[in-house]
Amino acid sequence: METLNIFSIKSKRIFYILLGMIMLVLPLMIKSSFALEILIRILLFAFIGTAWNLLGGYAKQLSLGHAAFFGLGAYTSTILEIKFGVSPWIGMFAGGFIGMLASLPMGWLCFRLKGPYFTISTIATANVLMLIFLKFRDFAWGAEGTTIPNLGHAPLMMQFETKTPYYYVVLGLLFSALVITAWIERSRVGYYLVALGEDEDAAEASGINVNKVKRNIFMISAFLTGLAGTFYTQYIYFIDPQTAFNFNISIEAALVSIVGGVGTLWGPVIGTMLLETTSALLQSWFGNSIGGIQLTIYSLILMAVILWRPTGIVGYLKEIYQRRSNAKGAQ
Amino acid sequence: MKKDQVNCVDAVKSGDDITIPNDKRRTLIKATGSAIIASGFGLPLRGYAADPVNIGALYPMTGSMAQIGLGCVAAAKLAVEMVNQGGGIKSLGGAKLNLIISDVQSDTTVTRTETDRLITSNPLSAIHGCYASALTLIASEVAERAKVPLITGSSSDMLNKGGRTYTFTPFARASQFAQAQLQMARLVSDKPKVAVIFENTAFGTSTSNGLREQAAGEGVEIVMFEPYSAGLTDAAPLINKVKASGANALFSVSYLNDLIVIVRTIKQFGLNISINGGSGGFVMPDFYKNVGQLAEGLQGVAHWNHDINSDAQKVNVEFKKRTGEFLFEYAGGVIAQTYMLADALERAGSRDPQKVREALSTLDVSRGYAAMVPGGKVKFGPDGKNIYGRPLGVQWQNADLATVFPKADAKAPLIKV
Amino acid sequence: MTETLIQAIINGLLIGGIYALVSIGVTLIFGVVKIVNFAQGEFLMIGMYITYFLSSFFGMDPLVSLLISMPVLFLLGVLIQHFLIRRVLGLNDLPQIFLTFAMSLLLINVCLMLFSANYRSVHTWYSDEALNILGIFIPLAKLISFVLAMFLSAVLWVFLHTTDLGKAMRAASQNRDVAQLMGINPNRVFAVALGIALALAGAAGSLLMPFYPATPMVGQLFVLMSFVAVVLGTLGNVRGALVASLLMGIAESLGIQFIGADSGLIIVFLLLLITLALKPGGLAAGWRR
Repeated sequence: METLNIFSIKSKRIFYILLGMIMLVLPLMIKSSFALEILIRILLFAFIGTAWNLLGGYAKQLSLGHAAFFGLGAYTSTILEIKFGVSPWIGMFAGGFIGMLASLPMGWLCFRLKGPYFTISTIATANVLMLIFLKFRDFAWGAEGTTIPNLGHAPLMMQFETKTPYYYVVLGLLFSALVITAWIERSRVGYYLVALGEDEDAAEASGINVNKVKRNIFMISAFLTGLAGTFYTQYIYFIDPQTAFNFNISIEAALVSIVGGVGTLWGPVIGTMLLETTSALLQSWFGNSIGGIQLTIYSLILMAVILWRPTGIVGYLKEIYQRRSNAKGAQ
Repeated sequence: MKKDQVNCVDAVKSGDDITIPNDKRRTLIKATGSAIIASGFGLPLRGYAADPVNIGALYPMTGSMAQIGLGCVAAAKLAVEMVNQGGGIKSLGGAKLNLIISDVQSDTTVTRTETDRLITSNPLSAIHGCYASALTLIASEVAERAKVPLITGSSSDMLNKGGRTYTFTPFARASQFAQAQLQMARLVSDKPKVAVIFENTAFGTSTSNGLREQAAGEGVEIVMFEPYSAGLTDAAPLINKVKASGANALFSVSYLNDLIVIVRTIKQFGLNISINGGSGGFVMPDFYKNVGQLAEGLQGVAHWNHDINSDAQKVNVEFKKRTGEFLFEYAGGVIAQTYMLADALERAGSRDPQKVREALSTLDVSRGYAAMVPGGKVKFGPDGKNIYGRPLGVQWQNADLATVFPKADAKAPLIKV
Repeated sequence: MTETLIQAIINGLLIGGIYALVSIGVTLIFGVVKIVNFAQGEFLMIGMYITYFLSSFFGMDPLVSLLISMPVLFLLGVLIQHFLIRRVLGLNDLPQIFLTFAMSLLLINVCLMLFSANYRSVHTWYSDEALNILGIFIPLAKLISFVLAMFLSAVLWVFLHTTDLGKAMRAASQNRDVAQLMGINPNRVFAVALGIALALAGAAGSLLMPFYPATPMVGQLFVLMSFVAVVLGTLGNVRGALVASLLMGIAESLGIQFIGADSGLIIVFLLLLITLALKPGGLAAGWRR
């Protein structure tokens, strides 16, 4: 179990409180709507990444099908809102719950498979869901999708006229996910997760009920991802199967963890900050010149990061810290 | 897995700011901000003479629809130049139009964030875009909430529904396209038995719904009606099905890549049926480039063509000079739309988007580039539809698109293949 | 009705040949190097562009261009192995997957920059012709592609089973450590594996050119089916990938024909999930590799 003990517990608490306060007042200090937009994206994908990290980072079950839960969450809340007038606040939790339920059969099928088979089966499942929603026009608008009805300023229906309230909602989501992750990390379940992530057979042999642990963490991961789906739909006012079950969401969820550091609390957050900022900068510098240039540079950067620091940024930071503390110890 | 261009991160892109440098932009934002507040209190706006009028343009410049998007942007730029050379907006002291372009990457999410960013980062008087119906719907949602008028050539009927007041569609709707296709089928054969295949997203679904609803009324029998997943690796199974249905005409509502494969496969199977490729990729120069002679005689429908009147022919020549291709449907429409915006700005005498919306809703033109539409007249109904809007039937003849339907607009005879 | 059925099966079989070339490459890389190459589709795309430019500048027939596209891609494979893949070999799945994924993104966008998104087609005398046998149409271009695809697969089979290098590759894929103990140089073997896999993808691209338009995104469309076939046929099993690809092509075609034109993919995926549920290692799990 790795925790970064740079400071004493007390200093750490002060650090977290300061960080929390900054995050709370940030939107009030930022004038640019564009910057706020980027912040919201960062928080949202950090949230999705953190949810993914529970399963993919700690337990090393490389799922690339998390878009399945994202989409299910999105559709659940939208169906409840448009067809039954239920507030998306409730719909969000219903969506998370549906995602959680879906993780059971998906886990039953996919966990029987190892390595790349597992990954590909998760991709296939998310894709099948997309195809199903594309086909069925009657209960979920089919391929055309639907827009969220314009209610103007309707906080009870999760619709706001400015960006700031959305910021706070997603900040809350990220905060919850981080708290949950930190709690799991320190608990016995956390030990089981890391153990089974490193060597499943050995973990099983030492008495851990591997299947149960996998199933449970999958449910939590799926639940959180489902919440993100609802938020996203409410934010962009639109849903259709290709947006809701988009493979890019699955990719991003995993990508921010690998860049930031799998199996660490802050990995996904740091990863998201780096990736989203880089991406936004590239787009604003090169966006409208020759098509393709910004993604070319982005992918080169990605490759460089993977080749240079495959364990992620957090791993690198820890290394630096280790080296420093070893040097200190030697004095 | 990825079917369209993979965007590892759906990131935001910056608009192509042509003339306004950063510090001037900030001044403008402050000015517009106070202007909007002022107008909120009913105070008259002071027109800033000679400051440009910003028009936003949202098109897919990368991703699967890139070539069309790029063509639309080229047309948008040409149109703005034309307006500016003609003296700009005279009621605003000769203010020039300033085009602020943004790439929506053929992606729904990016459309959402880009439309929003464009509107909030720049004081816009109006926007136009986005070619694909699915993308335009989202831009429309954002524009509606931000109270900025959107003018578009997208055909989805959904753009006129839902109580929108900020979306204006001067061209034919998907349901009208459907009717035209059916009527053209009757011209080719007395008892048309049509197979309808359509890509299963917004574009294909709206158009095909229109086909299904109106077929019986037009005396056309639909013997096959199938959505398919866009991005065909092989059209053979689909064409096999068409063959088995006994159809003598095929309506394909598809994007360009599928159309290419479909048309070539039909030839491979030696299937002798008349093809009406609808709109979309079918009416693009790239289509002919890829299927060559096979395109001759193929029919389609379009909301604009470069031979409808002398104005259209004039801009076509200019466009061809710049890009080397003839001015295709959507791009030609963009030029007309720019002039409609200019007309509205003239009458509004203001850069305020809400005033521009008012002026658009009372638009009534029948001359000039603003009326460069099939039928030659534009007037918007309460739902944003042009009450005179009607589609054209076109046919590939001698490597060019000729308007062949309806009789009133036909510039060339419909050749029965 | 039977005519339609036979036609549907033939259609599926023909396109299955193309899927096969792509999937054999993926499975070969996985078997030998133990990496899933998410960028395989992009090498198909590169093959298409090579063929396109040879055709438009020199009037070279796509089939002749195989003699150029395959070696070029072989070389590319060796280079990629040496400079990129080698660096991530010892690591776990995550960096490996994302490296190939980043490669895919890079290739698509570089081609987008160089060639723009326009579609490019090549027309040959056999592009739009078809054999008509008792009412069954067999498009000539597809038939030639299929035959050549099977030929290349057969050549690969012979290579893997009769030459020393081929046997070394199979040994490395079965047990890398033991193979190393026996004196097999893993890097050399990996380079050849990558080279062959990419050459096959490039061949698929060249073979597609007579009847399919090229665009930077084209690889994405074909790679999906191929991946399903690879898993279905058991990762690492070349014969499995071949058989599965042909089966996938047929299943997709039959699905489109008899269930619904948009059901092809869903059938394929369901087939995959069901197979994995019953046989978690793929169809060929349990056969010798």
